Amino acid sequence: MKLETIAFNNLRRRKSRLAFLIAGLLIGVSTVVTLISLSTTLTEDVQKKMENYGANILITPHSDDLSLNYGGISLGGVSLDPQEIHQEDLIKIMSIRNHLNISVVAPKVLGAMIVNGERVMIMGVEPDKEFRLKKWWKVNGRPIEESHELVAGASVAQKLGLQMGDKVEIGGETFTLTGILEKSGSQDDQILIAALPTAQRLLGKEGIVSLVEVAALCANCPVTDMVDQISEVLPGADVSAIQQVVKTRMHALNQFRNFSLAVAAVVLLIGALVVFVTMMGSVNERTREIGIFRALGFRRAHIMRLILFESTLVSIIAGIFGFLIGMGVTYLILPLMTDNEVALHWDPMLGGGAVLLALLVGTLASFYPALKASRLDPTEALRAL
Amino acid sequence: MPFVQLKQLDKHFESRADCVIALNKFELAVEEGSFLGIMGPSGSGKSTLLSILGGLCHPTAGKVLVDDIDIYGLSSEQRADFRREYLGFVFQSFNLIPYLTALENVMLPLAVKKLATAEKKRMAAEVLKRVGLAHRIAHLPNQLSGGEQERVAIARALVNNPPLILADEPTGSLDIATSEEIMELFKELNAEGQTIIMVTHNDENRPYFDRIVVLRDGVIDSDNARIPKAVA
Repeated sequence: MKLETIAFNNLRRRKSRLAFLIAGLLIGVSTVVTLISLSTTLTEDVQKKMENYGANILITPHSDDLSLNYGGISLGGVSLDPQEIHQEDLIKIMSIRNHLNISVVAPKVLGAMIVNGERVMIMGVEPDKEFRLKKWWKVNGRPIEESHELVAGASVAQKLGLQMGDKVEIGGETFTLTGILEKSGSQDDQILIAALPTAQRLLGKEGIVSLVEVAALCANCPVTDMVDQISEVLPGADVSAIQQVVKTRMHALNQFRNFSLAVAAVVLLIGALVVFVTMMGSVNERTREIGIFRALGFRRAHIMRLILFESTLVSIIAGIFGFLIGMGVTYLILPLMTDNEVALHWDPMLGGGAVLLALLVGTLASFYPALKASRLDPTEALRAL
Repeated sequence: MPFVQLKQLDKHFESRADCVIALNKFELAVEEGSFLGIMGPSGSGKSTLLSILGGLCHPTAGKVLVDDIDIYGLSSEQRADFRREYLGFVFQSFNLIPYLTALENVMLPLAVKKLATAEKKRMAAEVLKRVGLAHRIAHLPNQLSGGEQERVAIARALVNNPPLILADEPTGSLDIATSEEIMELFKELNAEGQTIIMVTHNDENRPYFDRIVVLRDGVIDSDNARIPKAVA
């Protein structure tokens, strides 16, 4: 038999007290686990939603005085000869260090054409990417799929008197209108959308794109890093982050995280108090027992070890179960926090952290009771002697 | 040289204005191999004396020498070691640990020693057999009778082979028949050479002692060695 055997038997044969000790830590640890796993999972969820808000990096041709700009549009007839972005260079974007964070790269070509006697802006896009990026686009009909199909913005369709399925002649080629965008109040209402290669041919800009929108998704999006990285591989282009979106994103997530941590700290403090009070009670209750140990020749250090070993055992149990319960609670309340289907993450780091946290709190809360126990006067403890 | 020597021992308890003198210039020498009974009325200082002998309670003045060791000259941790190596306690109300079995209770003094668990078990089982409890090894204290609990307590005091056993009213809560059995057990142990100092106020225990010291108000009232014992 060793000191550990005594501690182990004490816990084993006094189950109600053991339950109390474990419960105290358990509540604290499982709350922390719940909040952390919840905030991690929700962060991912928010990221997915954020992706719906579109691009957060814009690549434009390098030019000081050209106002060919799609975001905040002014596509005048004044046309200097800007540096242009060549389509074949875009593949380099995927070679940057943070390329895994890039979700969509949507190049497009913009230009003015005369359609039915009206001056209209045409935008050539890669349909699958563009429609993935602009999730808010509501198409009556269907997105373009082939080279001679068109989707029209609401205003332009009205201006030209276009209906779904109409044939439209642009630059001597005939297109079929497959869909009309719902009115959004943005410049999207004013454009005709065609497939990129077709538009490039019509506008005489083969192999050239006017503008690239990039959507990057990430938890701690190093967007400014990514901007630098893209600038490096595309020296002829201006790369800029749409900072506002990024900042709002980070702000919302940080707030949630801070809130979680604050709540977790409070609950953990309560847990520590429960352990402290229970351990203190246990020491008082065991005054006599500790007196016996001392009379039988246990040193003070032995008594401390005995009590701290007990708290260690309790903490490990509470840490493991706290982790499991926390994950269970997360699983249960996750559907209430988000509409999306979100998978639970089993993070072994979080599990290890939970046990460490329980150990830290349990040991700290038991240290004073252990010290007090070790300083008990054996005669006080053994009044009968 | 006597095994235990108490020299000029004073013990005062101070509570508010009162100062109770529990022991006053107390002198006592106990030879190895004796079975000493300390008797006297309540409040005569006999329990205090036993606490001081057991290294549990600092005297106000004076010295306690056991095997020529000045036990109150030791540090508190060293005194714990001293208790473990030199003393076996048998407490008034047995003081068994309720969540440990008979065998585990007996192993308690060995818990902090560096011995193989198997060896500790063997030693504990042996003393339990010696006190006649070989069949109750795995029982918890509340599953044992008073006499059996007392035997476990005695086994626990013996397991470390201490030179001195201190017993405080070991028959205090036992019926007469069981008391006799327990006193017989102590007698046998003493016959095997074990030094025992026992505090009691039960007159029926008198015949078992080879020396009886009666205390009154912190001093020795009478000291008679009933059967003079040859000192080896």
